[in-house]
Order: sequence, then structure tokens, then C-alpha cells
Amino acid sequence: MPPSARRGVRIAATLLVIGVFLLPLWWMFVASLRPVGLPPPRTIAWWPVDARWENYAEIFRQVPLGRYALNSVLVVVVAVPLTLLTASLAGFGISQLRSPWRNRLLIFAIALMMVPSPAVWLFRYQLLRWLGMLTSLWSLVLPAIAAGSPLLVLLFYWTFQRNPPELYEAARVEGADAWTTWLKIAMPIARPTTAAVLVLAFALYWNDFTNPVLYLYRPSTYTLPVGLQILKQLDATNWSLLMAGAVVVTLPMVVLFLVLQPLFLSDNALSELLDKT
Amino acid sequence: MRPGFLRRALTTYDGQVWLFTLPFLLGSLLLVALPALVTVGIAFTQYNAIEPPRWAGLENFRRLLESPLARLSLRNSLQFVFLAVPLRLLGALGMALLLQPGGRFFAGSRAAAYLPTIIPEGAYALLWLWILNPLFGPVNLTLGWIGLPQPQWLVEPWPTQAGFVLMALFTIGEGMVVLLVGLRTIPRAYYEAARVDGAGALYTFAHITLPLIMPWLLLLTLRDLVVSLQNTFIASFVITYGGPYYATTYIPLLLYELAFDFFDFGLAAALLVVSYIVTGMLVVGIINLVGLDRQGDAA
Repeated sequence: MPPSARRGVRIAATLLVIGVFLLPLWWMFVASLRPVGLPPPRTIAWWPVDARWENYAEIFRQVPLGRYALNSVLVVVVAVPLTLLTASLAGFGISQLRSPWRNRLLIFAIALMMVPSPAVWLFRYQLLRWLGMLTSLWSLVLPAIAAGSPLLVLLFYWTFQRNPPELYEAARVEGADAWTTWLKIAMPIARPTTAAVLVLAFALYWNDFTNPVLYLYRPSTYTLPVGLQILKQLDATNWSLLMAGAVVVTLPMVVLFLVLQPLFLSDNALSELLDKT
Repeated sequence: MRPGFLRRALTTYDGQVWLFTLPFLLGSLLLVALPALVTVGIAFTQYNAIEPPRWAGLENFRRLLESPLARLSLRNSLQFVFLAVPLRLLGALGMALLLQPGGRFFAGSRAAAYLPTIIPEGAYALLWLWILNPLFGPVNLTLGWIGLPQPQWLVEPWPTQAGFVLMALFTIGEGMVVLLVGLRTIPRAYYEAARVDGAGALYTFAHITLPLIMPWLLLLTLRDLVVSLQNTFIASFVITYGGPYYATTYIPLLLYELAFDFFDFGLAAALLVVSYIVTGMLVVGIINLVGLDRQGDAA
């Protein structure tokens, strides 16, 4: 096959695969605009017919989604910056440690990644009760102290560890302290990583379904994913409203991702992740 | 503590570097490592979260072995993992190979392929509850339109389990990115040499690409094993709550019910210990199967 034909096949295959991957999201959006109370569809709706944008206003009337959205925003506003701080500091710290301890901490972080999340449910429930954080938004913010997920620390570590040591050595010799080195030298060259961690950290807290279900019992503390579950309990067959709710919860995440993804999914960024400068 | 220890930690470079790791270290110990260990202890007690735990020896494990539901949840989980993990890996590898060329078109396609992965899990589960509706969900309407059989998703056990695997196949963005990075570590010169020798695409893939990204694939397999086991929770909680006929009662859902519906924390912890052991055996099995020494040669 000549190269041009091969490229054509690749582009066609890509379009097909991407189409399949985006189809569920498109169906969610189309269903969210269907008039409420219509009999179930007999044919596939590829395009919204008779789009009812008021479905989106209706879900805010049925469930206090505004309040829940505010709670979600509060959690994200506190937890995401805190996570970026703890993850980047820990990643930088580990990369600067001397050899036996550096490897020990690395193994610790990798072992943490292998701990299944249900393993911490039982004890964390007790811990939050003792701390008086059960059924408060702090129960969702607390993991930010531990950088949210060891993966985020490891991402920063891999980034910093690839930089030549002389880069930091020079600063150290000139008497700069570790804070300045982290802020002025390490962080500015970790931009793709920071963008990726920002998206992953936002997803960690904004998308969080399990922790609110486990630890929040007062309706005034519910977050958006819980609101979605309440919407389902009100009427599990009102698909238009359920899908409108799903779109509302999804949209901020998608927008943030689409804005930041060129910083870490573009060709340059992917290569930059590997360059041994 | 020696005097001056604190001052050294605050003022010397090495001390400050240790300080940087402290929040992560202490936080993870308290919130992840300690809970996971304490849970192992609780497995040997009777504990309802109100009265203090009472020593129960192996009683919980005996009850677990006798419980048909516990055995079923283990079987369901293993079935899911054995289907979903290899398919997810194949999917991620296929996507990475397809979308690796440079240019704006493929960069945009990578973002699009990643999109389902970042959808909030609650919304994602709800979305599949809609599109897998056996009567008027878009999936079955499309299948009917093409003239294919329409499985009774979410109604009959087997199609429901298949539906859960299908759901998991759309969220492979992370694996794709890891493999994209892995593919870029392969020196271009290897491919040039293969082309000069007249090697075909398939030969190049089998003898250059695959061996060189094997370490990345192994890493991904191990992580996906752990992640897939627990990721069934939200889907089974939102979509089916374990049904139909317990077909989607996976370990995390049963764990949730035992602990937070029946407050039988001891039994829940025992189930968790059993799932640790099973996961551990799978991890060791895979490492043995692939052979770590061969990894060393390839890398």
C-alpha cells in the first residue's frame, strides 16, 4: 500500500473509532433535550428534535442542584490547589532526596497506588467520626493533604527527576533554599505535568461519587453527583431530566479538560514528557 | 529530639526537602496505609461500629466461605476482571498505535478518545442506564436498525455483565496516554533499520514495538487489575444495585452492603482480606507469566 493510501485508511479508522467513543456522550445530550412525558422513542434520535432547553431549568426546580453545585465548587476550590501544592512539593522532595530514602519513598508511593479504595472505606468512616468531619465537606477535602492520589505525586516526581541534577545543584551551591528552587526552577519547567495533574485532581474531587455516598448524610452538604442520584430516586424513568442532570454534572469537567488538554496531549507535550533536556 | 533538629529541617536544603514530602507521607499513612492495615485486624473481630470490637478468630472467614453470596460476588468480580482487563489493554494499545502520528487531527482525536474517561462516574453510570435500556435505549434501537439481535441488557444476567464490560471499554484514556508515552520512548532508528531490511508492518510490530513497550504494558496490567476490581462499585450501585439475580453483585458492592447497611464491619473486612489475597495472587501470577528477567533484557 502506498503511504498516502495508508494514511487515508488510518484517518478513516480514526474517524470511525472517535465516532463510537463520542456516541454515548452525544446520545446523553440528545436525550436531555427530549420533551418530558413523551412516549418512549421507537427510532433512534440522532439529532434533538423539538429541543426543550427548559428541561435544564426543571431539574434545578425539582432538586436543589444549585446548592449541591455550590458545595461541589467549594470542595474543588479548596481541594484542587491544596492537592497541586502537596503533590508537587512531595514529587519535588522525593526527587531531591538521597538514594536509599528516595527509593524507599518511591516504593511506598507505588504500593499506595495498589491499595484498593474499598480498603480504606471502613476505617476512614471511623476516623472521620472521631475527627467530627463525618457529614461535612471536610471529609471530601481531607484526602488533599495526602495529595489526593499517589499517582499525582509520581507524575511530578517523574517530571522533576528527568531534569539534569546540575540544574538544582547550581541553585543549591548559590545558597538558594529548597522553597525557591521548587518555585523558581522546578515548577516553571513542569507545565505539561501541572496541567495534567490539574485535570486529574479536578476529576478526583468533582467526579467523586463514592465518598459523598459513604460520608455525607445531611442534604445541605450534598454534592452534585449525589444530587444526580436523588434525581434518579425521584423518577428513574424520566430520562430527559436524568440526562439533563448528567450533562450538568459533566459539563464543567469536559470544559476544563478541553481547555487544558493541549498542554499535555499535543505532540510537543507528549515528547516534552520524555525529553532528557 | 535533638535541639536544632527543627532549625536544620527548616533551614538546610536537605531538611526542607524532607519537609516537602511530609504532608503526603503523613496524610497517606493516616488516610490510606493505616486504614488498609487496620481493616486486616478488624477482619478477625466482631464489630458493628458502635460497641468496641470483640475478638472472633476466624469466625468471619468461616461465615464468608459458607455464604453463597460472597462466593458469587468473588466469581462475578473475577469474571469481570478476566474479561475487562485484557480487552481494556488491547483497546488502549490499539488506540495508542492508531492515534500516535503527529499533527492536529490526531492530537484532537486523542483528546476525543480521552473524553469518556473524565466523565463523572455517577453521570457515566446513569448515561449507560439510559443507552442500554433494552426496549428504547439507543444501543438496541441501533442494533435493531442494522438488523442485529438486541440483547436484554440490564434484564438478563449475562447481557448485563457484558454491558458492564462494554462500559469499561470506553474509559481507557489513561492507559492510552501511558502507552503513547511508551511508544515515543522507542528510538526512531529501530524502525528505520527495520524498513531498510524490508520488514513488514506486522513483523516490525511483533519484533520491535511489542517487546519494547512490554514493561509499560505490564505496569498497566497490574494497575488495571486493581482499578477494575473496584471500579465496578459505582456502576453496580447506580445501574443495577447488584441485580438482575445478583449478576452484578461484585465485591465492592457486597462490601458496601455488609458494612454500611448491616454494620457488620468484621465480615466486610474479612471479604476485603480475601479480595486482597486474590488480587495479590493475580499480580504474582501475571509477573510470573510474563517473567521479570525478560523485561530486564527488553528494557
